[in-house]
Amino acid sequence: MRDRIEDIALAGPGILLLALAFVLPLVEMLRLSIVGADGGVTAEHFVRFLSDPYYLGVVWRTIYLSLLITIICAAVGFPLAYVMARVSPQMRLWLIVLIILPLMTSVVVRTFGWMVVLGRGGLIPFSLWKLGFVGRNFTLMHTEAAIVIGMVQVLLPFTALSILGVVMKIDRRLEEAARTMGASFLATLRSVVLPLAMPGILAGSLLAFTLSVSSFVTPSLLGGVRLPVVASSIYDAATKTLEWNFAAAQSVILLIGVLLALTPYIRLSGRRHG
Amino acid sequence: MFARVSQFAAALAVATALVTPAAAKDKLVINSYGGAYEQIHRKLVIEPFMKKYDVDVQVVTAYSADALAQLRAQKASPQFDVIHFSGGQEVVAAREGLISPVKAEELPNAKDLYPFATEGLSRGEGPVHAVAAIGLLYNKDKAPKKPARWADLWDPAYKDHIVLTDLSNSYGLLGFLMMNKVKGGDIKNPEPGFTAVKDLLDSAVVVSTSPEMQQNFAQNDAWVAPYAQDYAYTLRKAGLPIEFVQGAEGTPAVYLTANLVANRPNHDLAKKFIDFSLSAEVQEGWARELRYSPTNKATKLDDTLAKEVVYGEQAVSGLIRFDPVEVDAARASLVERWKKLIAR
Repeated sequence: MRDRIEDIALAGPGILLLALAFVLPLVEMLRLSIVGADGGVTAEHFVRFLSDPYYLGVVWRTIYLSLLITIICAAVGFPLAYVMARVSPQMRLWLIVLIILPLMTSVVVRTFGWMVVLGRGGLIPFSLWKLGFVGRNFTLMHTEAAIVIGMVQVLLPFTALSILGVVMKIDRRLEEAARTMGASFLATLRSVVLPLAMPGILAGSLLAFTLSVSSFVTPSLLGGVRLPVVASSIYDAATKTLEWNFAAAQSVILLIGVLLALTPYIRLSGRRHG
Repeated sequence: MFARVSQFAAALAVATALVTPAAAKDKLVINSYGGAYEQIHRKLVIEPFMKKYDVDVQVVTAYSADALAQLRAQKASPQFDVIHFSGGQEVVAAREGLISPVKAEELPNAKDLYPFATEGLSRGEGPVHAVAAIGLLYNKDKAPKKPARWADLWDPAYKDHIVLTDLSNSYGLLGFLMMNKVKGGDIKNPEPGFTAVKDLLDSAVVVSTSPEMQQNFAQNDAWVAPYAQDYAYTLRKAGLPIEFVQGAEGTPAVYLTANLVANRPNHDLAKKFIDFSLSAEVQEGWARELRYSPTNKATKLDDTLAKEVVYGEQAVSGLIRFDPVEVDAARASLVERWKKLIAR
């Protein structure tokens, strides 16, 4: 009994904070999303969003860009995590520091960095121009490629570290056994390490996907106003045209989308740990 | 016991209320827009006014839309004496009885104002104390020739070097309404404007904020952009070779007004404050510091300054004002059409 009181006392501030800063706004958002112009309950905001090809196009762009970002993060993150798991502990520490270091800088600052690198006359367009591949006016800014590059840089640490945690736990003897039985390095990687690392890859990918469908700063700075994603569409409705109800409805749709993407993962991990 | 304490407290409160006004100076509460604007506002208007009349002026930072929302919320007991608007909110505020009419006779400087600046007085709105003109910004070093008309935006000579501003930005909205007007449309019929912008999109960059505009002129080889005159000055201060041109078809503008809040005790002092904002010296200051155009005919500007703002009868006659009420009503739908048009 006493334990329970202590537990509650310890968890109290956290729960209170969650209630005030998360549950309350969330409830308010849900309420706003179904309030019409006359104050009554309505589904018009959802209908407006879901029946308009423009907004569906925005959703589609958000989803396929997020998928692309996730796949690249996983494809780069897995070999990286594998190498990190197999080097000496000291080397691993340095690699982890290298990966975590960018997280110490604000996303906005890193994105400004990309704007310099990708913009007209920036490092990449300038080099490509000097090499004769593109015209002098070529720029990578305000393209979907820019969004993907910027987001991969932001999300790679999350994926790589999630995978690292799982790869570290794989018994090295399994790999050695596979090699002794005549499997090549790549075959071992494909048929032993990859399947065993799958939970980590899935977890990392889901993390990357959910973070990237809801990301706002990087897509709006690197993609510009002409490549809207769901988060920037919500921002526009809330701050520029002051259609709060419509913004709330879009947020609810995004939230449901993210929850749907998370469900299989929660199920999977629930089965494993519970 | 408790009753006695509260009685005593009440007596004390009454006593304080009776004593304080005699000791304290008269006080006005006004709004300003924050940032560089507010700094200059304090330097040019607020501090000299406080000194001249030996009063206190309290500044609350609130943009126009926010200021209007506050006025509405405080309708029963308003907290501002003078409220400044830049987005045409005075039209709405006057209609809702949130601001009081001011007569031209009550403002000694009103006789020197251009007619457009006092036009709103008859409708119960405050006078216009400054104007931010919208025209064409161009890079005088790089652009092959100086643009002269709004229609020049479609000149192939500037292809690939045009910057357009998103309609969520109020300068962008006014610029678009002007392009629409040039192409034969009006607020109720934005079709010609959207069709014309569509032709530009493949060879133009679209930005949504002022810093992005600067970045495009600095790094992205932009040549021509419809934007505000005061921002051309900001860019020049940043070392960019940017000049401002009033399009021959007319100059839309942001009209900054100073309004008298209704149901406040201090109307006389508030009117003095509004009048102070209209004086030729203050308006010269606005032009010098931020390149806002004066509305007072008596304002004397030196030659360089005169060239960089809308100055003199002829230039002023080119000013256009889109009906703020109509603009406000059409804003959301215009912004949405625009978003759909520019999305790739």
